[in-house]
Amino acid sequence: MTTVVALAVGEVGLGVVLQAGDWAFVLRNAEFLLLGAGITVALTLTSVLLGLLAGLPAGIIEVYGSGAVVGAVSRLGVLFRGTPLLVILAFTFFVNPVNVGAFEAATLGLGLRSAAYQSQIFRGAIQSVSEGQMEAARSVGMSQVEAIRHVIVPQALRRSIPGFQNEFTIVLKDTSVAFFIGLAELLTRGFNLFTQTGQSTAILEVVLAVSLVYFVLTVATNQGLDYLGRRFAVPDSGGER
Amino acid sequence: MSLLRFEDVRQSYGAEEVLRGISFEMDRGDVEVVIGPSGSGKSTMLRCVNRLTEVDAGTIYLDGEAITTPDTDVNDLRRRVGMVFQDFNLFAHRTALGNVTLGLEEVLDYPREEARTEAMAQLERVGLADQADSYPAELSGGQKQRVGIARALAMDPELMLFDEPTSALDPELIGDVLAVMRDLAEEGMTMLCVTHEMGFARSAASTVSFLDGGQVVERGPPARLFESPANERTGEFLERLTSLHGGEQ
Ligand SMILES: Nc1ncnc2c1ncn2[C@@H]1O[C@H](COP(=O)(O)OP(=O)(O)O)[C@@H](O)[C@H]1O
Ligand SMILES: [Mg+2]
Repeated sequence: MTTVVALAVGEVGLGVVLQAGDWAFVLRNAEFLLLGAGITVALTLTSVLLGLLAGLPAGIIEVYGSGAVVGAVSRLGVLFRGTPLLVILAFTFFVNPVNVGAFEAATLGLGLRSAAYQSQIFRGAIQSVSEGQMEAARSVGMSQVEAIRHVIVPQALRRSIPGFQNEFTIVLKDTSVAFFIGLAELLTRGFNLFTQTGQSTAILEVVLAVSLVYFVLTVATNQGLDYLGRRFAVPDSGGER
Repeated sequence: MSLLRFEDVRQSYGAEEVLRGISFEMDRGDVEVVIGPSGSGKSTMLRCVNRLTEVDAGTIYLDGEAITTPDTDVNDLRRRVGMVFQDFNLFAHRTALGNVTLGLEEVLDYPREEARTEAMAQLERVGLADQADSYPAELSGGQKQRVGIARALAMDPELMLFDEPTSALDPELIGDVLAVMRDLAEEGMTMLCVTHEMGFARSAASTVSFLDGGQVVERGPPARLFESPANERTGEFLERLTSLHGGEQ
């Protein structure tokens, strides 16, 4: 039962055919690949979490902060958004004077870059909450910090979900860049498989399997965040009148 | 001693002087109604009392104590002065009950259950106990405004500020809000109200002030001021108001 799907079968063949034997190779190494997927998921979670923990305060500071802190935070954001991810990873892994593992270095690089983007998502969401919400909170005697925490942030977070969803999937896909520093995540493991001697015919199958896993993870993430959005939805949270 | 006293209060936005020397005082239990054309500084005047806007000169006293000084505890001041906004400003992510409990829990440090009990009592007071679990988006304008009043009352204020509380409401919803305000007045709450509801002013106000160009042009008991305004501008404004059926924004 050799299924041969001719995608671009030239005279040379180029191995661009799907061979049952090569799929068997993928299946034999499924566990190896799935462990890589586990690392991908873990790296996504730690990076997005770091991005959230640094990005939310940064967004709040950009809106409500004053003086030099605002300037410092927004300049850091510009820096991280303006530097290629591979270069950031070169800094967090190769240049880093502290000797950290590839996973930690990848978390740091992906997380800080994500923080720079998440800060903008939260900044926009905070600014979309009407001025009157802050005034109403202050008028019952809440401090600015209490008002931000109990009135502004809960509304801003709900409005951030679409942007956050987008950022989450970007980070998920960008974890593949950790290949550069040798982290044994999904893509790295795929690469290690098809570069084994004698497996060059399985390149397409391995890459397809890898991209399928990324795709499934992306869809699952989106659905999870959709659920979160519905779970915490409030009737017409756009209208605070 | 007066509960609230303005002493030559001035306020400017840039070059535009919005309040140009406001002085008046009201006693505990007084209901002061402020009327005046759009842009005359009515909102600014109220906002100076709870320091949402800072005065540039002059002093405001609450219960004899200057509250416009740099060392005033602004959060405590705001706890003591309730504010009701023209466009409600209910916390959109919280239910009617949640709108009232937030200040109780965060500012007055009520335990959760006690905050709930107290908030229910306040919603009862404005006739909305049955809407406790509704979100602002599910309430009518009149209901929203009554939640806004309950939210302010829950802090047990000494003074209530109302900034055109019925201006954003459909005519048929105004009555419920005014009824709550009348009840409050009868209970002896001290109220400083910007409103052009003449019926309310007539029946509930101790004094009416006409504000124009950032100055109190005329001030007196409602019957006197409405029937025989001493100032020409007051007369003109009242005439326009009645011909527009009380509808100034
Ligand atoms: N935040 C602000 N910045 C600049 N000008 C303002 C601001 N708020 C109010 N003003 C101006 O101050 C004047 C008085 O406003 P306001 O107190 O809102 O009047 P009223 O409530 O009587 O309509 C208006 O000319 C208005 O444009
Ligand atoms: Mg106004």
